[in-house]
Amino acid sequence: MNTTAADEPLPTRRRFLKHATATASLLATDLARTGGPARAELAIEDQPEPKSKPEPERRPKVIDCHAHLAHRSKPSWADDDRALIDAADRLGIDQLCCSLLTPRKGATPEGFQECNRWALEATKRFPDRVLAYCYVNPGHTKEALEDIRRCVGEGFIGVKLYNDHFATDPVIFPVIELAIELGVPILHHAGHLHYFLKEQPRISDGGHFAELARRYPEAKLICAHVCGGGDWEWTIKALRHAPTVFLDTSGSVLDDGVVELAVQTLGADRLVFGCDMSMTAGVGRIRGADIDPVDKAKILGGNMEAILKGRK
Amino acid sequence: MIIDTNAYLGHFAFRQLRNNTAASLLKLMDDKGIDKAIVSSASAITYRNTQPANEALAAEVQSHRDRLIPFGVVNPFYAGWRDDLKACHETLGMKGLRLYPGWHNYKLADPGCHDLANAATERGLILSIPLRVEDARDRSWLVDVPDLPPADITALIKAFPKARFMLLNGLQFVSTPLGRRGTDLPTNYLIEISRIDSVLANEMGQLIANLGADRVVFGSGMPFNYPDPALLKLEVLNAGKDVKDKVAWKNAAQWLGLAP
Repeated sequence: MNTTAADEPLPTRRRFLKHATATASLLATDLARTGGPARAELAIEDQPEPKSKPEPERRPKVIDCHAHLAHRSKPSWADDDRALIDAADRLGIDQLCCSLLTPRKGATPEGFQECNRWALEATKRFPDRVLAYCYVNPGHTKEALEDIRRCVGEGFIGVKLYNDHFATDPVIFPVIELAIELGVPILHHAGHLHYFLKEQPRISDGGHFAELARRYPEAKLICAHVCGGGDWEWTIKALRHAPTVFLDTSGSVLDDGVVELAVQTLGADRLVFGCDMSMTAGVGRIRGADIDPVDKAKILGGNMEAILKGRK
Repeated sequence: MIIDTNAYLGHFAFRQLRNNTAASLLKLMDDKGIDKAIVSSASAITYRNTQPANEALAAEVQSHRDRLIPFGVVNPFYAGWRDDLKACHETLGMKGLRLYPGWHNYKLADPGCHDLANAATERGLILSIPLRVEDARDRSWLVDVPDLPPADITALIKAFPKARFMLLNGLQFVSTPLGRRGTDLPTNYLIEISRIDSVLANEMGQLIANLGADRVVFGSGMPFNYPDPALLKLEVLNAGKDVKDKVAWKNAAQWLGLAP
């Protein structure tokens, strides 16, 4: 466990790159074949290059679309956040799109507002590494909309919804409409299990997102953690005819073939890389996927980068 | 050198597997730099009579015994299990067994299971125990097989100090006696890493610190799983080459009696 204090000076870019060199090939093995340099090659980019040499093409950014910061009720929260950055460094992840959730779900306005303030602080502690989602419980419509508007104004990159309501419940429509207005994505907790999950009676699945997307085709919906949400084959097939819904590849389940089936069924343009704190699982499944290196680069960061550019 | 202690061949009842023949698994191993693998039959997990699956496995790996090391699946509550055990060892040349108490409807504490543990130990066979086959959230509507409770495994390990166990597909051992330092448990078990991470909470590093580097072994769960996450966690493990070599292959090689 990394025990570095949260207020330790941030690593310099050179130190970060040097540290990452040992694991540079972790994500770059296939990317290198696309012409972009691996991080190991990037590690020497600060050194002067002979003018006759062409400028190397930069490696595409690697963005984890689904990460979490620790709630401050946990005494180790600062170390835990630091450990997340350390893991990202070791695995070659450039940016982490994080939400900070209340320990008890069915969050109160005070609860999610507090989480979002802490998430904002984290973006300042780890600038350009931590990007923040605004987490709300859409059941508190007024406060949720106010907080989304405030947070996006402060630089948050999207909205995170949990399992307080089904994605087809009209109570979440104002949140979706505001996200469309602001041009930000909605990362929505998801899962499809072949039994009733009593702890999560209102968990949404691919079918809910497909229905929501028909109502709001302009929304940038991200169906969360296909590898942590039960029957992933069901989820992928359910999203086939919902072309505006993205699928997050994160989760702890290591099953072979998920990424290939998703690319085959949905297309690589609809997949976004994530870990959801299962870091080596998240990175490893993309590294292991038998897909075109160009598609791999899109999944690892290109698609998420394009989504984030849509902010108005 | 890498030895994978957690690999399979054959069909699984609830999901199509790729790379589940000897030829395709070897191709995958070549691509990933995995030299040898302990394999058992994925089909045997749901067969009532597992012995045909053991025989099919042995035939499948026959010309690849230098790289694919077959383990049998034996159900100690099925008629003729002692004959099957003898055949697995003496005829099919297997060096170990995989047990599926949840899928075969018995408990590790049952006397019949103890009979099997005794018989396997007398033959010097390794007892490999997957704590799960699939994530519970992925399960079919037909079956509900819970993960094996660590306490059941602890009791079996205590009861058979001369047996040798490999614990597969487990997690959070450090919160149980199996992964803690200074317990009264015998040191007759190895923990396989496919679900254990080496970043964030770094359970892999904790296990090595608590039990020693001799007690942790590489395993991927292929072809159920991508092998890459397991390879990756070994790569980024914050440890020296000596420790990584032990985990990657030396510990498994020693248990399997393979020449260095």
